[in-house]
Amino acid sequence: MRKATAISAGLHAAVLLWATFSFSGKMFDVTPAESLPVDLVSEKDFSEMTKGVKDAPKVETPKPLAEKKAEEPPKPVEDSKAKITEKKEVQAAKEVASPPEPQPTKPDQIADKLKQPDEPKQQTKVEQPLPPKKPPQKPQPKFDADKIAALLDKRDPQRNVAAGLDPNNVPSLGTPSGMAARLSQSEIDALRARLMALWSPPVGVQDPNELIVNVTVRLRPDGRLAAAPFARVNGRSVAAMASRDSAVRAVLTGQPFDMLKPEHYESWKEIELTFDPKDMFRSN
Amino acid sequence: MNPADVAQSVLPLTSSDLSLFTLFWNAHWVVKTVMVGLLICSVWVWAIAIDKTVLYTRSRRAMDRFEQAFWSGQSLDELYRALSSRPAHSMAALFVAAMREWKRSFEGNARTIGGLQMRIEKVMEVTIAREVERLERRLLVLATVGSAGPFVGLFGTVWGIMTSFQSIAASKNTSLAVVAPGIAEALFATALGLVAAIPATIFYNKFASEVNKQAQRLEGFADEFSAILSRQIDERG
Repeated sequence: MRKATAISAGLHAAVLLWATFSFSGKMFDVTPAESLPVDLVSEKDFSEMTKGVKDAPKVETPKPLAEKKAEEPPKPVEDSKAKITEKKEVQAAKEVASPPEPQPTKPDQIADKLKQPDEPKQQTKVEQPLPPKKPPQKPQPKFDADKIAALLDKRDPQRNVAAGLDPNNVPSLGTPSGMAARLSQSEIDALRARLMALWSPPVGVQDPNELIVNVTVRLRPDGRLAAAPFARVNGRSVAAMASRDSAVRAVLTGQPFDMLKPEHYESWKEIELTFDPKDMFRSN
Repeated sequence: MNPADVAQSVLPLTSSDLSLFTLFWNAHWVVKTVMVGLLICSVWVWAIAIDKTVLYTRSRRAMDRFEQAFWSGQSLDELYRALSSRPAHSMAALFVAAMREWKRSFEGNARTIGGLQMRIEKVMEVTIAREVERLERRLLVLATVGSAGPFVGLFGTVWGIMTSFQSIAASKNTSLAVVAPGIAEALFATALGLVAAIPATIFYNKFASEVNKQAQRLEGFADEFSAILSRQIDERG
């Protein structure tokens, strides 16, 4: 038995020794994944984040898209100044040009004699203002019907143009729908509260989803409607139509929406509103 | 932070020294005790296995040789004289015990043949029981280790995982790199338990059947020898 024990112990020692050297946790080949930069964006940052056209030229201070000049905040001073100075320039040129003309026709000899030594000077003086008299020949534009057609604005003249402080047709890399001055949550909630109070969809409908109405509203800076609200509803039933009409009435009777601040007009000049029966019973 | 950097900053703590020895050394003392106990069990099981294998092989060969000698027509007295000094194996011991009883009954002056048959059978029965007991000795250890080993290992594992969870709770870090070493050393206990128990069970089954076979063989021989002696008693009486 002693011999057997010794053999067994020896065997175990050998196995353990072998295991100590062979049993080493093989490291997993961790190929480091290519690191992906992640920015944490808060909700506010996200809503302020601006969409853009990627290949647009870079603009230092991107202007919001506006096709027409808004009437509301008038800035006439600069414009008129520019026009006045333009006209003045033209007048001045004429004044300078006209006086030298009568001089050669006046046969005043004393004066002639008196001015004799000065004549060469005057000659030069007269000649100098002459060039403005002849307006520089512009290359006459050829009439080309195709080019004219290309220049024409073929859009519907009745359309509601997006009005902004400065007309700007170029979508910039920065902000075609920049929300830098965005609607605050309280403004949105105030608007929703008013509209929800006015909207009364029919009750007891089998499928409440068909009562959901989407209304596109265009507003003027004073908070009134710029165009008739455009409403779409999911269903085709009578109840759905009633819901849609009620939503339109709510928008019409709710104006002016004076809870919307004029300085954020860019962000609420066109609003997409959703009238959902679910929202009517929210506790807040 | 670069994931590769993170991996490198965490890994040296754990995987660089994940050898078997450190796995044992870092364990809780309860787990350590379990591991050491299971290791000793394993050593003991293999010692018994080696011992028994040698014993049974020898015993079987000796029985073969004895039976050959017994049935070769050799004089039983001669055989007895050759073996009586030291009976080397179970069958020889059986033969010697029966022959001794026989000789005592005949060589004395007072002939006590009446209960001789019964006495011889009793003596052989006792010898068989003693020999089987000798063959079976320590087999119970194998059975115990085979049945209890996994449980002991499991206890070590449960204890190790318990403590490693406690350390997770303490460090408030659930990264796998923190959890893994504790669980590895805990599982090591179960592995040791299985390492001890599997051979124990296999050897126990093998040896139990071997003991059974040899005991049957002894009983068969005892019956045959008893028949021979019985005939002799009747002839002489």
